[in-house]
Amino acid sequence: MKDNLARSLTEQDVVVARELPDILEPKKRRSGLIGFAFRHPAIAIGGGVLLVMFLIALFAPLLGTVDPSAIAPSKRTRAPSADFWFGTDMLGRDIYSRVMYGARVSLTVGFGVALCASAIGLVIGLVSGMVRWTDGIIMRVIDGMMSIPPILLAIALMALTRGSMGNVILAITIAEAPRVARLVRGVVLSLREQPYVDAAVAAGTRMPKLIFKHILPNMLAPITVQATYICASAMITESILSFIGAGIPPSTPSWGNIMAEGRSLWQVKPFIIFFPATFLSVTVLAVNLLGDGLRDALDPRMAKRI
Amino acid sequence: MFGFILRRIFATIPVMGFVALFVFSLLYLAPGDPAAVIAGDQATPEDVARIRAGLGLDRPFLVRFFEWFFRVLQGDLGTSIFTGLPVSQMIAQRIEPTVSLMSVTLVLAISVAVPLGVIAAWKCDTWVDRVVMSLAVLGFSVPVFVVGYLLAYAFALQLDWLPVQGYTPIKNGILPWFENLILPAITLGFVYIALIARITRASMLEVLQQDYIRTARAKGVSQKSILFLHALKNAAIPIVTVIGIGMALLIGGAVVTESVFAIPGLGRLTVDAILRRDYPIIQGVVLMFSFVYVVINLIVDLIYTMLDPRIRY
Repeated sequence: MKDNLARSLTEQDVVVARELPDILEPKKRRSGLIGFAFRHPAIAIGGGVLLVMFLIALFAPLLGTVDPSAIAPSKRTRAPSADFWFGTDMLGRDIYSRVMYGARVSLTVGFGVALCASAIGLVIGLVSGMVRWTDGIIMRVIDGMMSIPPILLAIALMALTRGSMGNVILAITIAEAPRVARLVRGVVLSLREQPYVDAAVAAGTRMPKLIFKHILPNMLAPITVQATYICASAMITESILSFIGAGIPPSTPSWGNIMAEGRSLWQVKPFIIFFPATFLSVTVLAVNLLGDGLRDALDPRMAKRI
Repeated sequence: MFGFILRRIFATIPVMGFVALFVFSLLYLAPGDPAAVIAGDQATPEDVARIRAGLGLDRPFLVRFFEWFFRVLQGDLGTSIFTGLPVSQMIAQRIEPTVSLMSVTLVLAISVAVPLGVIAAWKCDTWVDRVVMSLAVLGFSVPVFVVGYLLAYAFALQLDWLPVQGYTPIKNGILPWFENLILPAITLGFVYIALIARITRASMLEVLQQDYIRTARAKGVSQKSILFLHALKNAAIPIVTVIGIGMALLIGGAVVTESVFAIPGLGRLTVDAILRRDYPIIQGVVLMFSFVYVVINLIVDLIYTMLDPRIRY
């Protein structure tokens, strides 16, 4: 038996493994923009759509639009046609022009709120996480604010003021900022326990340097991801506020208030709501995709989970 | 356990106190002087001042806050500026449709979203998973009233299967009540389903990697009982949490959904109150919804200890 085995394994049967090169050839990766797009399709698609919306907002006057507030009573509620691509509303205003100009409001509100809420939340969260005696008070106030449903909070704040873009941004910011503050505080608390922070403290690093050099850079990724989600949610909240009549007045077209005006006619003239609804949904979808893509790219550990 | 419940209930008192303070400031800061409105156009400044003193509006902020707060504790939310009726009575009249809508939505959302999330986790990285997750992203992106109009247009106007708008009280029969609530509940539940399905999937994926799942599989437990008995129970805490937090979406969404489907509930009451600047009503509704939200999340915290006996507070 043993002999057989030995005999069967002659020298010819033994295959010598090929010598490995010193350095394995790197996996081929496409470089540049196209490579990036292939590796992060969500960022590419979301960012691309968002870029288009930005261009629309920026160049709205050049896109074959007419004055979005020009009233033409003789051309009321026309269906979409070659003259009026998206039809006209109940005052005869061109919906295509209103939707193109409306991109300005939605994007300004979305990005304005994302920026303001992140900045305010960052400061409050940092103070709460770094200055321990303030933590108890700040967290109780934040608990209180977070126990009012955000849309209701924004509605209540808007009821106090006149409807204008600034007030809408302010109201939604107040409703969203506590969430950022809580996230930042959580990250600060976990970063404080890191050995490198202990080391920095032991080496006598002062508070400002500790925050700017050691804490903030590690905060950037979660804040950016959170900011994109806030941007998406702010756009939806703006449209809801406009829709129930607590948002931006119709003299400035926004996707929300175009739909609000089409509300009474939706059963017979659904196109008035359809076009702004599509633009709004596609834009919010793009921002959400961008957020998901950024989260996966910035924190690969999370990528497969949520 | 009993001590924990008590402590947890006490912890909500400062939170509710802050909410009350905030909501009171809302009325305090509201533009317009009630005394001037009551006095009318012909009144002299002295008349207005006298009426203001009579109403107690000239006293310090904190004194008025505590007075108002003790009235609220007794169930007195003030009177509506527009109708002159007590706010608590107006809320009571409108509460049934909203409670109906929210409970149907809650049942629908949980019974759809949890299985979807479980299946997505089980079939992770297949087309099933991708479809469910794409629907979830879509759910976050389409505003609630757009979903409402789409559904109403398709199922009520074009197909004529369900009533377009309106509400039938439950005492007029379960079936008409339910028929009127199907479309609004799907509308309101859309984003909620997306949220719950996503968290369910994430939580399940984590649990499915645990050793005891491999053990269960090795001893021949069927796939179905692994998923729904072994895994889901251990994945339940994040799911229950998000169901509680997501109530905020339901409350906000109800305001809009009721407008789309002409349901005479608290949402409609809020929207009408905003258009008429009827601050006592806005105040009352915000206060009540916040209270409900806090209580629901309190209950969620208590459910934790039942789901996971290891949790001790």
